[in-house]
Amino acid sequence: MPERRIPAGERAKPSQVLWTTLLVIAACLPVMPHLRWQVNAFLALVFAVRLLGLRWPSAMPGRGLRILLTFAGVANCLHGYHTLAGQDGGAALFATMITLKLLELDSKRDLRLTTILVGFLIVVQFLFDESFSIAAYLGVVSLGMIALLVKLNGGLGEAGARPALRVTYRLALQALPLTLVLFVLFPRLEAPLWNLGFEREAAMTGMSDTMEPGAISELVVNGEGAFRVRFEGAPPDSGQLYWRGPVLWEMDGRRWTQGDAPHESPRPSELVAASEPIEYEVVLEPTRQRWLFALDMPVTAPSDAFITPALQVVARQPINALRRYRVRSVMSYATQAPSQEVRLLALRLPDNITPRMRALVADWGAEAQTEWQLVQRGLAFFNREAFHYTLLPPALGANPADEFLFETRAGFCEHYASAFALLMRIAGIPSRIVLGYLGGEDNDIGGYKIVRQSDAHAWVEVLIPERGWVRVDPTAAVDPSRIDRRSASRLLGANASLRFSIDETNGFARFARSMRLLADTLDATWQNWVLDFSTEDQLALLDKLGLSAFREYGLAALMMLAISLTLAVILLALSRDNPPQDALDALYARFCRKLARAGLPKHHHEGPRDYGRRVTAERPDLAGPVGRFLALYIPSRYSASASPQNLEQLRAQLRDFAPKEPGSPLSLKRSR
Amino acid sequence: MPSAAAHRADRRRDGASGQGASLRGRIAGRVGRYFESMLRRVPMGSDGVARVGARQIYILPTATGMTYGAVMLVMLLGSLNYQNNLGLLSTFFLASVAIIAMHHTWLSLLGLAAQVRGGPAVFCGETATFEITLHAEGRRARYDLRARSDDKPPPSLQIAAGDQATVKLGLRTARRGQLELDKLTLETSHPMGLFRAWCYVETDATTLVYPAPAAHAPDPSHDAGDDRRPHRHRGEGAEDYLGSRGYRPGDSPRHIDWKAFARERGLLVKEYGGDEGQDVWIQWSALRAGDTETRLSLLTRQVLDATEAGLRFGLRLPDGMEPLARGASHTQRCLKRLALFSHA
Repeated sequence: MPERRIPAGERAKPSQVLWTTLLVIAACLPVMPHLRWQVNAFLALVFAVRLLGLRWPSAMPGRGLRILLTFAGVANCLHGYHTLAGQDGGAALFATMITLKLLELDSKRDLRLTTILVGFLIVVQFLFDESFSIAAYLGVVSLGMIALLVKLNGGLGEAGARPALRVTYRLALQALPLTLVLFVLFPRLEAPLWNLGFEREAAMTGMSDTMEPGAISELVVNGEGAFRVRFEGAPPDSGQLYWRGPVLWEMDGRRWTQGDAPHESPRPSELVAASEPIEYEVVLEPTRQRWLFALDMPVTAPSDAFITPALQVVARQPINALRRYRVRSVMSYATQAPSQEVRLLALRLPDNITPRMRALVADWGAEAQTEWQLVQRGLAFFNREAFHYTLLPPALGANPADEFLFETRAGFCEHYASAFALLMRIAGIPSRIVLGYLGGEDNDIGGYKIVRQSDAHAWVEVLIPERGWVRVDPTAAVDPSRIDRRSASRLLGANASLRFSIDETNGFARFARSMRLLADTLDATWQNWVLDFSTEDQLALLDKLGLSAFREYGLAALMMLAISLTLAVILLALSRDNPPQDALDALYARFCRKLARAGLPKHHHEGPRDYGRRVTAERPDLAGPVGRFLALYIPSRYSASASPQNLEQLRAQLRDFAPKEPGSPLSLKRSR
Repeated sequence: MPSAAAHRADRRRDGASGQGASLRGRIAGRVGRYFESMLRRVPMGSDGVARVGARQIYILPTATGMTYGAVMLVMLLGSLNYQNNLGLLSTFFLASVAIIAMHHTWLSLLGLAAQVRGGPAVFCGETATFEITLHAEGRRARYDLRARSDDKPPPSLQIAAGDQATVKLGLRTARRGQLELDKLTLETSHPMGLFRAWCYVETDATTLVYPAPAAHAPDPSHDAGDDRRPHRHRGEGAEDYLGSRGYRPGDSPRHIDWKAFARERGLLVKEYGGDEGQDVWIQWSALRAGDTETRLSLLTRQVLDATEAGLRFGLRLPDGMEPLARGASHTQRCLKRLALFSHA
């Protein structure tokens, strides 16, 4: 097999290959949990071949086999993701390719290319995980990348990693101010230039816009944060915090969907009566959907979003990055009566309504005088009968509502909401399902509330004459004694939502919870200052500087100015030709400090010779080391330049030089 | 056969500068020279040391640097598009590091002092050497310094602050005469290899290049037709006194019979003979070859042969002569005369 011909100076050394391989492995590690197992297995295989090839070079695959492996790698990605575009498929393909490149590290050029591509791998990972710990880890990886480039450039003289690391450390430190300036002032895009089809993938956990048995339970066991909220004033009671998301109208017998949501144009005010609005700020984790969660009922939408007739706050673009927004809501309200069209939509029934369901509702209708009494009758049914709340409900068959109501009688919010809404429709009361979150945990350290995915909830809104849409939460009607707390605590541990009231008398559990809150506060700070830094913050900064009239141009001009100034300062510091202190001076200063600690400080008028004489006279026991040091120091100092050997020798002497105070080493008395 | 190759090269060069050169070649040469003259060179100070100044340093990204830049650009676009601040942060960090590294590269050359000395004389076709002493004046250590005059990758060296290092530069020779180091480049790509900074150093250092000796040359004793006098005086010159004869131009003053001159007997020369007593005149006019360079290479061979045989010899060229003498320094003088010979 003909291999490429490479000049001797450009051939890759085994140690360089090893370091490059280790760097790529280190850079791949954090992305691997997000990839399919086939891709990870392939990566691990190639890493193993590469490392074995370092030990036994003859084991390295030849060119033909490498081409074959490349095809296998691409096919493997295709098999795992069915696409090579998009975030997951793209990341898998890139990781596969850079790993395969490891098998072909013949020249220094290959090494450099691979090392530089690690930078791209780092950026790709931030699409998956933006936590502080990952960022810190990848920061170290990028330092490794720089150090490897320095090492590959060579010309440092000494062997080993130390000189390269020293250079890297200096470069990184000097680059920090410039990085900061660029980060703060570089103009951002407010909307993506292109989209690689994120929507098609369901990689993100988050509220779905349909509901069927099992859809929310998947979320409920997820302890990740969904969003954080900071209230302007005192927050309302946790039990009142219904965070409104998608509204579902249509039931096909098994699944609730938005159906033909009414397309009435949003009117300025859907609410006819309202209490004083409360204002709050939400920091929403990316969901790739357009729902912005707001408390029942939102009255003002943030910019770039609107309020639908069903009072959902919807963003104009999918939330692909952390999104911060302010909303105002009213806690008590009455909505306008909807049109006849909407009423009919909210009364539509699936075709699998069983006679016993109709019979049940007919019973209630006979007893109730008004719609509201009928609603109360329905809630009482859930409370009185042996309905259980559990996160581990038994499986339901073809007609989930019927089976749930009359047979299993165990489930959680989505079962209750679905069954209740159907029963109301049978009774002739228009109803709809609202998906969202309930409650939120106070974080006293950070001064905000965190709402987790496990707080996901579903409830019902019924249309009552004179009052409009009224929220009814059938899940809350379940007798508290029938809530299965064990399943929640088993599934969620310390992440369990507060509404399960898991016993926290256990000291360790309390400690775990407070540690979790602290970690979350750090995470929120990280989000606030780094992840969520946006054009708005930049414009706010411009505003403070009185340049807001210039907008993007002002920002660009400010950035150029700041970069030039920063570079000028760095350059000035760099081109100052002298380091802070001469090495020899530093050694002598250390020598004097050691003697001063031993009670023999140098007088200002003393030169090294006089000082040495005085020390020797006062402390004959130190004559040896002091004499030896000065015998080497004085000629070095007064000759043209100190040789490196002399410096090294002086350093070694100083290391062993530990003058004790006279008398016992424990004595606290200073002789001078 | 290196000398023959050198001759061929010389003839080619002569031909190119002559009438045979195409118009295109001449224009290319002129344009090249024009741009050469635009290049800033590091001037040599009065102490013979060239100190690299800020305005004489050129810097451009290397292929690695271009790759780095391209990857940065992709990273920037991707992070901007996905509104990923961490991606932007790492992109900006790596880009800042590259910008800082660029200044480090530039600073590694700034203030560097270079002194160039010519090496010992060589025959044409051999490798001439120049000795370049680089002095890291000031308190900045220098890394990955390379001195080059052609495209060969030179070894890199590092110099501690205040220290100096010497590097030898080999240069293939193709013509006799004073070889000047017309394009000494100092370069570095420290620290990351993303940028290459270089400067052209002006030097007056030369290395003498003797003509390439011909493989064979006619024996100078052989009379080549110039019959004014024999070129080889067997029996003249050394220990045993043979007698006197009239003075001829070129005779050593040491051999003039000054006593006889004082007695007004005219200028007489004492003739000596002995075991080594062979004087040889190596003469331009004794050779029939038409081409100057061929003649010079034959003469060089004759000088070397005579030196090897331990003869006393002199050299006559149209532009001057070396008197009869013997020894290494005499040989060097003769070779130098041959190296610098120019036909008026």
